[in-house]
Amino acid sequence: MTAPLVEARGLTRTFPMHAGPVHALRDVSLRIDPGEYLAIRGPSGCGKSTLLHILGCVDTPTSGTLIFDGRPVGALPDAARSALRLLSIGFVFQRFFLLPMLTSSENVEVPQAEAGVGRRERRRRTAELLDYVGLAHRGDHRPAQLSGGEAQRVAIARALANRPRLLLADEPTGELDRATGEQIALLLDRVQADGTAVVVVTHDPAIAARAARTLLMRDGRIVP
Amino acid sequence: MRALAFAARSLVRQPGRTALGILGIAAVGALLFDMLLLSRGLVVSFRDLLDSVGFDVRVMSTDAAPLGGPRVPHASAIAFELAALPAIAEAVPVRLTDAEASTRGTRPIGFSLMGMDARGRRPWTLTAGRDLGRDAADTPPSLLVNRLLADALKASPGDEIAVRVVCAADRAALPPVPFRIIGVAAFPFDAAAERSGVASRASLAIACGGDGGDDADMLLIASREGYGPDAAVAAIRRHRPDLHPATNDEIVARMQATGFTYFRQISAVLSTITLLFGFLLITVLMTVSVNQRLAEIAAIRALGFSRARVAADVLCQSALLVGCGGVLALPLGIALSIWLDAILKAMPGIPSALHFFVFEPRALMLHAALLSVTAVLAAVYPMALVATLPIAATLRNEVVS
Amino acid sequence: MRDTWRLALSSAIAAVLCAGVSSFAPPATRRDGVPAMLVSRQLRESQKLSIGDVVSLSSEPSGAHPRQFRIAGEYEPIPDPMRLGAVRHEVRLHLPDLIEMTANPADPLAAESVDALNVALPTPADAASWARETAARSPGLVLRSTANDDRAGPFIVLERFHLAIAIVTVIASSIFLLALMLMLVDERRETVGILRLLGVRRRRILLHVLAEGLVIAAAGAALGVVLSVAFEGGINRFFQWRYDTALVFVRITPAIALRSIVIAVPLGVLATLASSWTLLRREMFSLTRR
Repeated sequence: MTAPLVEARGLTRTFPMHAGPVHALRDVSLRIDPGEYLAIRGPSGCGKSTLLHILGCVDTPTSGTLIFDGRPVGALPDAARSALRLLSIGFVFQRFFLLPMLTSSENVEVPQAEAGVGRRERRRRTAELLDYVGLAHRGDHRPAQLSGGEAQRVAIARALANRPRLLLADEPTGELDRATGEQIALLLDRVQADGTAVVVVTHDPAIAARAARTLLMRDGRIVP
Repeated sequence: MRALAFAARSLVRQPGRTALGILGIAAVGALLFDMLLLSRGLVVSFRDLLDSVGFDVRVMSTDAAPLGGPRVPHASAIAFELAALPAIAEAVPVRLTDAEASTRGTRPIGFSLMGMDARGRRPWTLTAGRDLGRDAADTPPSLLVNRLLADALKASPGDEIAVRVVCAADRAALPPVPFRIIGVAAFPFDAAAERSGVASRASLAIACGGDGGDDADMLLIASREGYGPDAAVAAIRRHRPDLHPATNDEIVARMQATGFTYFRQISAVLSTITLLFGFLLITVLMTVSVNQRLAEIAAIRALGFSRARVAADVLCQSALLVGCGGVLALPLGIALSIWLDAILKAMPGIPSALHFFVFEPRALMLHAALLSVTAVLAAVYPMALVATLPIAATLRNEVVS
Repeated sequence: MRDTWRLALSSAIAAVLCAGVSSFAPPATRRDGVPAMLVSRQLRESQKLSIGDVVSLSSEPSGAHPRQFRIAGEYEPIPDPMRLGAVRHEVRLHLPDLIEMTANPADPLAAESVDALNVALPTPADAASWARETAARSPGLVLRSTANDDRAGPFIVLERFHLAIAIVTVIASSIFLLALMLMLVDERRETVGILRLLGVRRRRILLHVLAEGLVIAAAGAALGVVLSVAFEGGINRFFQWRYDTALVFVRITPAIALRSIVIAVPLGVLATLASSWTLLRREMFSLTRR
């Protein structure tokens, strides 16, 4: 049995609110193996995105342990967590969040530059990634000049820039039509097939059906 | 992409806001630069003016400001004594008074008259005719006038005019005495509209009915090469402790503490206000810009940008805004200083050679330093905003909203 | 006699009776044969003098030939911005006492000479013509109308200087205001787009924007006036303490307050208009697109 890429034990996340605490996650444990394709489904407000954020080291659990590639993440300082996200984890958001003042190529180069990759290698890798997502001809276009599907593909290319071991996608097709969503789903299939573990939070049953494993969540818990 | 290039791209994305930020900094930066020039401008200019005359020590009878106290009695004897001191190259008594001049067909015209026996150094520059001779007591007495007086009298070198001198407060009005204008000169301490002239002390005595007295308003002292003004002052104090010598620096310091103090104060007040204004402008611009980009910042934090990195981006934006504005402020400031200098030089009694705004490299460095500090301080709050941004909550809020 | 004290007079003796306004009560002339004098507040405080003290004054730098005077009162010297940092150590004597002390005994005319005579005319408007006629009839006299008093010159120059500074400040403030309004308007971009999509006309949105700009500008101008009045006292107190003077440095008059509001409010409205202009002219869908 291979060592897990991500192991979560007893994760809870509570948000203190004026009206009383909100328990977004309650004692969630799971494991993600290298190269696995995992879908997380559930109704709105069940804690899917919260779980994704914790897995991606964007948020910290109120209690519980998260181990990434054999290393406990909880005690890491912010700089180390940022480095982990930069080099080992890729994020794809529902709203794309491309940098509007940069071209598609520049958006894909940003994480590589931050990781200290040299200019020549950055450009080579960027061209490779844009070709991978089918947008080699749109490298000089800014996000405002792209369609929703194209913008999300650029976002996926950006997320893969530093060859992450884990790709996290939060409702990647949430703002796309069915046909475009299908294209994104195919792309995610390909990413997973090439060895990157993919975790997708989605409402879309068609996307979830492509995953090797689906977790159902309700009221902050994983429903067995 | 390095922080500076990234920041530049972020600023270019909002060209209107960026342009206004730079222009705002340029406007206040120009005013700040001018106030820094003003803070020492008078002092520097006044010192240069004093030094240009060629004398580096002035001797008065009391510690009052020059021309503000009683005269030095027996000035000729004192000048002779002081000139014999090793540290002193030249000692010249100077008497300043008012006079009226007229020619046939003109009304009497008031002017400032200096009585001085010029030997080597002369606190004027001859521009036409010939200069005063040593201890000249010509008949009629010789007079050098400035251009304004010559034009008012419609006189030129060689012409004879009638001069009535105010000899002492307690004297009756004396009849006018003929003087011959021998030349036209420029006097560095003349105000823009001032009419002035210089004659020998002997000529002044003639104009005062032969009894001009041997008083002087002050003695102009030139220190001997190798000794310097401080040595000259020390020698005078040892030799004549009843006199009050002062180097040019000491006179400038006195003026700085009295006559110039208003401009130093206003310079300090306006410098503070402009820096505060610049700080507010950049803080508001950066804070609003950050608040409008919270989701974007959270996204790049999620991608792996560290807190320090995103904070550095904000700092670079602030530095670029203030830097560009600060550079633009320099030519604006210079143009503004020319205008303000022209306004202030209209003050009565200010020598036309005196400037209120004088460029010094020190002012430029201080300008750069102050703007740099402003850029950093203005970025502190927005930097704190981005550094403490809760990534997950921001992403969540963005989706919900 | 409380104190015998010798002052070397430099510029400390002011011409008596030829000065302008001063606030003091006329002193009694002599008591016990000692003539009275007034001292400036600054002199009294710095030398720790008291009313009633008898002091010695000399017109010679060496202090020779002193004469005794009794301090009958103190006065506040006329504030002079050109002498801001000067220490106002002054005294005022009766003219005969001053002349007696300073006149050259060898000059028989010394007791009849003064530096200046102040003349008040029944019709001040005639000052210039009267001065000309009198000068023509009295050669040797210099007559100067106080309307053309060059002591007003520094004030006029300073006023121009302050006006120039104010112009630069207004320009910088306008730029700041424009930047703020631009950001405000940008935040409303989506709202304006949605309103346009719903059918609200441009003109109505413009009126709304103008009204908002007017309220902000008026409130800001009013707050500015309130703040300046609040700071006025503090600034005056600080500088009066700093320079030991009664000079008033800042005075906010109704005219100045009104002028500030008249400048600020239109500028604010113009800034709002300028910053909203492109927004209102843009295509409505582009306003709502992210």
